[in-house]
Amino acid sequence: MKLRVQLQCKNLHEYLRELGPDVLDRLYNHPATCLAVCRELPLLAKNYVMRMLFLEQPLPQAAVALWVRKDGQRDHDECVSVLTGLRLWHSQQLQGGLQGYILNPVFKDNLRIALLGGGKVWADEGIILGPDRHARDIESLDRYAMERWEVILQFMVGSPSAVSQDLAQLLVQAGLMKSEAGEAPYITSAGFQFLLLDTASQLWYLTLQYLNTAQSRGMELVEILSFLFQLSFSTLGRDYSVEGMSESLLTFLQHLREFGLVFQRKRKSRRYYPTRLAITLAAGVSSNSPSNMTNTPGTGDAGFIVVETNYRIYAYTNSELQIALVALFSEMLYRFPNVVVAHLTRESVQQAIANGITAQQIIHFLRTRAHPVMLKQSPALPPTITDQIRLWELERDRLQFTEGVLYNQFLSQADFEVLRDRAQGLGCLVWQDASHRAMVVTPQGHSEVKKFWKRQRSHT
Amino acid sequence: MVNVHKGVLVECDPAMKQFLLYLDETMALGRKFILKDLDDTHVFILAEVVQTLQERVGDLMDQNSFPITQK
Amino acid sequence: MASGMSWFSHYFCFLFFLLLTSTRVACFAEDEVNLLVIVVDVNPIWWGQQAQREPEFTLSKCLDGVMVMGNSHMALTRTNKLAVIASHCQDSHFLYPSKSLGGGGGAAEDTSSSRDGKYELLAVANSAIAEEIRNVLSKTEVRGNSTDTLLAGSLAKALCYIYRVSKELDVGQEIKSRILVIKAAEDCALQYMNFMNVIFAAQKQNILIDACVLDSDSGLLQQACDITGGLYLKIPQKLALTQYLLWVFLPDSEQRSQLVLPPPAHVDYRAACFCHRNLIEIGYVCSVCLSIFCNFSPICTTCETAFKIQLPQMVKPKKKKLKMPA
Repeated sequence: MKLRVQLQCKNLHEYLRELGPDVLDRLYNHPATCLAVCRELPLLAKNYVMRMLFLEQPLPQAAVALWVRKDGQRDHDECVSVLTGLRLWHSQQLQGGLQGYILNPVFKDNLRIALLGGGKVWADEGIILGPDRHARDIESLDRYAMERWEVILQFMVGSPSAVSQDLAQLLVQAGLMKSEAGEAPYITSAGFQFLLLDTASQLWYLTLQYLNTAQSRGMELVEILSFLFQLSFSTLGRDYSVEGMSESLLTFLQHLREFGLVFQRKRKSRRYYPTRLAITLAAGVSSNSPSNMTNTPGTGDAGFIVVETNYRIYAYTNSELQIALVALFSEMLYRFPNVVVAHLTRESVQQAIANGITAQQIIHFLRTRAHPVMLKQSPALPPTITDQIRLWELERDRLQFTEGVLYNQFLSQADFEVLRDRAQGLGCLVWQDASHRAMVVTPQGHSEVKKFWKRQRSHT
Repeated sequence: MVNVHKGVLVECDPAMKQFLLYLDETMALGRKFILKDLDDTHVFILAEVVQTLQERVGDLMDQNSFPITQK
Repeated sequence: MASGMSWFSHYFCFLFFLLLTSTRVACFAEDEVNLLVIVVDVNPIWWGQQAQREPEFTLSKCLDGVMVMGNSHMALTRTNKLAVIASHCQDSHFLYPSKSLGGGGGAAEDTSSSRDGKYELLAVANSAIAEEIRNVLSKTEVRGNSTDTLLAGSLAKALCYIYRVSKELDVGQEIKSRILVIKAAEDCALQYMNFMNVIFAAQKQNILIDACVLDSDSGLLQQACDITGGLYLKIPQKLALTQYLLWVFLPDSEQRSQLVLPPPAHVDYRAACFCHRNLIEIGYVCSVCLSIFCNFSPICTTCETAFKIQLPQMVKPKKKKLKMPA
């Protein structure tokens, strides 16, 4: 029983692993993708790739296993499974009959190109168009990107702001907003969680959702994914030309323009500038590393929140959006032109938790937007506050509910054990107690277990 | 003969389980809802009462909490 | 409600447990910048002789390897930073980031150089390195009798650069830096003092010094690696330089603990005497300033303490020369 929907943000590998092998192989045809994929590998796997990058012959698997120390064997196994899962290396029979590994040749060639040069140019630079009369500097690009992104967030919290039909639809498809016939879309609990993420993670989440729906839009997944990675490796403040881009890529560019990932002066402009959002896109990829993207200069409000041990929050901002976000989990006390004062209370936090926001998300929000003064101390947030927020959440988690079917009153221990082992084998056993001969299976597994039990009884 | 019940497995700490037993005994939800008392930390209950049960637990928490801040 | 009390005690036990665990959770993995400074020995005399000995491994081949190493370092993680210093016998010169490009990584300069599939940042870096090394080698002339590589000076420059970068970090960022020395020419005992000072400074700042030695073993670098916890490797095959760099020196210190790497070299702990810069195992040490000499002198040249010549049996504890294994 899902009582609370948790916002799931996959990282790049989890996403890529779900793609088919042929898609993956085509994806590795572009140096940018290879570089991006390589960058997100576990450290040890990176080392393996670099070590094999310039080898033409397959290496015996036993030799590869000797690269790590004995105590690192588990990491080694993980690396092997990641590299195999992403089809970065293949097993190959060696001459002596041994099994060996060899890097995926397409991946190897393209990674070499990314590192050493050669091959085709990724994107036409604006140089061929001559200097831009309306050239943009980095500050204005940053401003532009943040404005665009805020428009989307504002739309989500229901402020009147204009977003395209496509985007509104995407937000609904992503489950961040819900729309009932004829009404304006409104935010869901997943949407609230989304708002509290940092910009990089938000961006990555939305991009993933976009990619999931890309094929239904009639877009070539490999093409737009490659373009996206290429964009994330481009240089801030440079212009690139749209020359040679396909029709669907041009549509994609328009969507990116709406997200604020690229700046294009006019719809028909022949050049575009990637913004900082596009370049840091890959930074949100690894959802487990809480990068403080919001603190990078230029991406809007650097830290503005001060939290005191008396549960007061001072938010030095006048952005309606940020105030709305703070108000999601706190009680507003005063508002001044440049600062709002709010109060964390049990009620307000529990209200937020009821909306599907987790304590971790609240703490993460406060920490990533902490004022520079707060960051000077370690930990940045007062531990009393973080602990209390977690405790308030745990209050609600005193009971854990799992839907299931209870089997009890078995006549013999043997009967119980047979059925229990069967349920375990099916992976549907939730709980069991041998001394009381009772077990609980999931509702999905119930019919299978029941069938098995009937067969079992007819045999004996 | 094996007995089969559909319902919800609740996992909780022993103290919380005592509270559930208390609610069950006093018919606080208008009826008995515990199908089977499994062990110290598990009970099996009717699926219908989950929502009300959570509210009751919330109420209990409210009774036991005191405002820790002043405005 | 009989359960009320037990409920409460349980709650508080739980609370304390939570307090204990939460502090660990609060330690937050902040963005970490990984700075690698590569110091390349470009001693023209050594490389000239090398070109005659082995025409297939020249300075340009070596620099190619360095660039591959640098590229891999920068490409593998977004926050990785790189600096390359050329150590000549006249001066030490920053190849990357170079002064002419305005601090490196700048956006405005036009890079018409690379027109292929290389990652743009790397293309810019590589063309800068190539440009600068050309400058260094064409403009610096070998004068007089100074034919030794100024390695200690380059290392000092690297330390200064690391210090500067760590000052310019954003709030909350941490830096982990290491220096990789690619050493070609012979050690120079003249630099012993400066070298040791640099090593101890690096040790104090938690900066690793790695050494990749192409030709003859270097006692100074062995000590440097040993003291700072870096890796010392004399590569058996010069042509395989790139592979060694990527295998041994690309992983950072944390990762190295997982890998099976070449066994640590035997460290030559000999010190150089202050009078003739000879490496000695046994010598005279001034009891006042701890300067080392290979033969006895009545006045310490460093601190100018006068020693009275005495026979060993007439020991005066204050001004006595100790015979000590170095």
